[in-house]
Amino acid sequence: MSKASFLERRQAPKESISVTIFITALAIILALLFGSLLFLPFGVDPFNAYSTMVELGFGTLRGIGYTLIKATPLIFVGLGTIFAWRSGFFYLGFEGTILIGAAAAVWIALLTDPEGAIGPLPRLLFLLLVFLVSFVAGGIWAGIVGVMRGKFGGNEVILSLMMNFVALFLVNYLVSGPLRAPGDLPQTPRIPQATILDFIIPGTRAHSGILLALFAAIVVWFVLRKTTIGYKQIVAGLSPRAAWYGGINVGNRVILAAFIGGGLGAMAGMVEVLGVHFRLLDGLGEGTGFVGIVAALLGKLHSIGVVIASILYAGMEVGADVMQRRSGVPSSVIFVIQSLIVLFILASDILRYYRINLSKLFGNDRGKKTLEVDSST
Amino acid sequence: MVPYIELRNINKRFSDVNANDHVDLSVNMGEIHALLGENGAGKSTLMNILYGLDYKDEGEIFVQGQFSDIRTPSDAIALGIGMIHQDFMLIPPFTVTENVVVGLDEEGSSPLLDLDKAARSIKALSEQHGLDVDPHARVEHLSVGEEQRVEILKLLFRNAKLLILDEPTAVLTPQEAEGLFEVLRSLADNDHTIIFITHKLHEVMNISDRVTVMRDGKAIDTLKTESTNPRELAMKMVGREVVFHIDKNLRKSGECVLQIENLHVDDDTGYHKVQGVSLDVHSGEILGIAGVDGNGQSELAQALMNLRPIKEGNIIVNDVDVTNISSSLHRSAGMAYVPADRRKVGSVSELSVALNTILGNINHYTTAGNLIIQDLQVREHAEELVERFDVRPPNLTLDAGKLSGGNLQKVVLGREIMLEPSLLIVEQPSRGLDVGATEYVRRQLLAERDRGTAIFLISAELEEILALSDRIAIIYEGEIMGVINSDEAVVEAIGLMMGGTRFKDLPSKGDDE
Repeated sequence: MSKASFLERRQAPKESISVTIFITALAIILALLFGSLLFLPFGVDPFNAYSTMVELGFGTLRGIGYTLIKATPLIFVGLGTIFAWRSGFFYLGFEGTILIGAAAAVWIALLTDPEGAIGPLPRLLFLLLVFLVSFVAGGIWAGIVGVMRGKFGGNEVILSLMMNFVALFLVNYLVSGPLRAPGDLPQTPRIPQATILDFIIPGTRAHSGILLALFAAIVVWFVLRKTTIGYKQIVAGLSPRAAWYGGINVGNRVILAAFIGGGLGAMAGMVEVLGVHFRLLDGLGEGTGFVGIVAALLGKLHSIGVVIASILYAGMEVGADVMQRRSGVPSSVIFVIQSLIVLFILASDILRYYRINLSKLFGNDRGKKTLEVDSST
Repeated sequence: MVPYIELRNINKRFSDVNANDHVDLSVNMGEIHALLGENGAGKSTLMNILYGLDYKDEGEIFVQGQFSDIRTPSDAIALGIGMIHQDFMLIPPFTVTENVVVGLDEEGSSPLLDLDKAARSIKALSEQHGLDVDPHARVEHLSVGEEQRVEILKLLFRNAKLLILDEPTAVLTPQEAEGLFEVLRSLADNDHTIIFITHKLHEVMNISDRVTVMRDGKAIDTLKTESTNPRELAMKMVGREVVFHIDKNLRKSGECVLQIENLHVDDDTGYHKVQGVSLDVHSGEILGIAGVDGNGQSELAQALMNLRPIKEGNIIVNDVDVTNISSSLHRSAGMAYVPADRRKVGSVSELSVALNTILGNINHYTTAGNLIIQDLQVREHAEELVERFDVRPPNLTLDAGKLSGGNLQKVVLGREIMLEPSLLIVEQPSRGLDVGATEYVRRQLLAERDRGTAIFLISAELEEILALSDRIAIIYEGEIMGVINSDEAVVEAIGLMMGGTRFKDLPSKGDDE
């Protein structure tokens, strides 16, 4: 075989938690270093900027509030991604389910207006109803794609991307037609005060949606890890043929994955309208449906990872917004850096396939020191 | 006369298997040379070496008397050697012409493609050899037989003089196969040389001028086809001394557990793979299904578990008609199944050993109305399995895909045996396993039989069938050629039936059992 060199190729990738953390940290640091070049034209010290940004996003109560607001829909979309993708259903239509979920939530909220068709409901009953209707609406929306894939073998990637446009124009139609409020703007009337989510941190606008998101994260983790439903979903996702052999109906599993994934995506829309915008309007979503997928991938499709990745991502955005207002550095710099981080983390996976041969590095051969020992297959 | 191709002393090892053991082969210009042997005899390896896909460990290759060091397929193509694999390498949305010229890069030719010119010469070639292919047709609209002819055209267009075909009839209907034979004869008449890999005796007799028989990586003999017969070839092909490694107790079979009546099944592509099979298996008995791979065995096993739609016929297990019962309920009906592909079908590589031990039987380890998995019960079950079947390493959290083939098979087989089924369907139980693991798996099967389980054993290894079975059914192209008791089994006769001769048509003995 070839002579051992400083970098040796492994037969199987190294997959321990410590290696994951090390590689991820390395990727983030590299992305920040590359990104610092973008600050130079503004005469801003990049490291100062980074620390300000972190402080603004995570260091003040106000910043934390905004970070949680931004993280909430990301967590829901990330959880939807986990459930769908782990089941082998590569759904990309969360932009659409956000809009559908938001539209359903606003519709129910408006119905409970004192002059609406239902009239005011007790708070708990309203929350249950709006949750149920919004979830089911998003679930059915994504479920259409699920049925096409599960029953007829359609391609969920293309179908779900196309459905995003349908949802976009549907909301466009709703806010400029049937649900439009009097006035110039294409938007619905504001939802009744009784229907908006509680603020949970005094002095901030953080709303109770984050609690629902964290609860959902626990439920998703529990269902996938501890229940027969999760077992069947994961087996169907990992190996359709083994699932088939084990008596699991893969088509039905795909449809369930679509329904639950879409429902979770709809929750992102629901918390946005009930907690932030208080009405349905054009331009809702704004890429959250895709950023949430990225957060899920960065979190390695684990519930806890998604929560962490979403909060970090949201915090950076909040910090960037404030920084733009204060120092004039455009927040797009931060978006570039965010993208760099994603790219570097995804690219860093290749490091798992190599081992560093320290003895070669320092030119002494005594004692073959290697960073790790790989498990033989 | 110098042979067109001469392989001398070719040796090739894959880890601990000697795929080619000092093989000599010489093929004359203009002949159709059959390479006959069982699965794993080393035929494909030898041809892959000649075509540059594998590189020999030892030995020499001479093309028209010239020593040739063939390291890549482009070396082989430059020498006029072309090979057609079982899986065609065509681009479906392209036309025939586009597929034929793809990858061609003649020196000095213009950078622009002259497709019309190519199409004309393809048409000419096609007519010359009776290939009957329209150069402008899109490949996605062609039948399998036509695609194969496009592959032949690709080689002819590249001026291949030697054509290697790896089991070309496996994907063809009998009529298409006959058409292919005519094409091959026409090519041979025009000074092309053909090497034809097969395990079907009648094809050898039908098409070849000479035949080389391979067994266990060795070239056993080369014979003139006109001076041999199917019996002799079968003897040479499967005729190793059959050793009964394991002492078997006498059969104490009881009542009928499985009854198959006139079963018809299609494969995924709609090909009629099982054609009217009727069999029965009794408790405490191993029924072995002998046959060359791909003659409907897998489809038969899958249909028994209702994993594949049944076109016609009935399956009765313990007096219950299970023909239309959902596959998820078969295990509770007393059936268990060890599939041929233990890595991709029998287990989930990315899941832990523990979670693999409950595949197909999750509801046994749950509470709350089959909803919540009881981790403790799963672990106890997995621990018991790992200990009872000696799985190494005994690490329950290890990904199943990281186990060796033998240990993974212990997990799969153990899982199914621990269901305590009354009927155990086992497909290729020792494929790819080393001697120790093979022995272990076989002993487990015999122990299960002695416990009174009815075992439906499918294996392409005749030796395994003979070592384990109480009765042997021979399958060929989805039909049962005959059923014999293993103590009356004659290897030659089984070999002939595996090649498509019916029991009643066997030479010498004509009486039925």
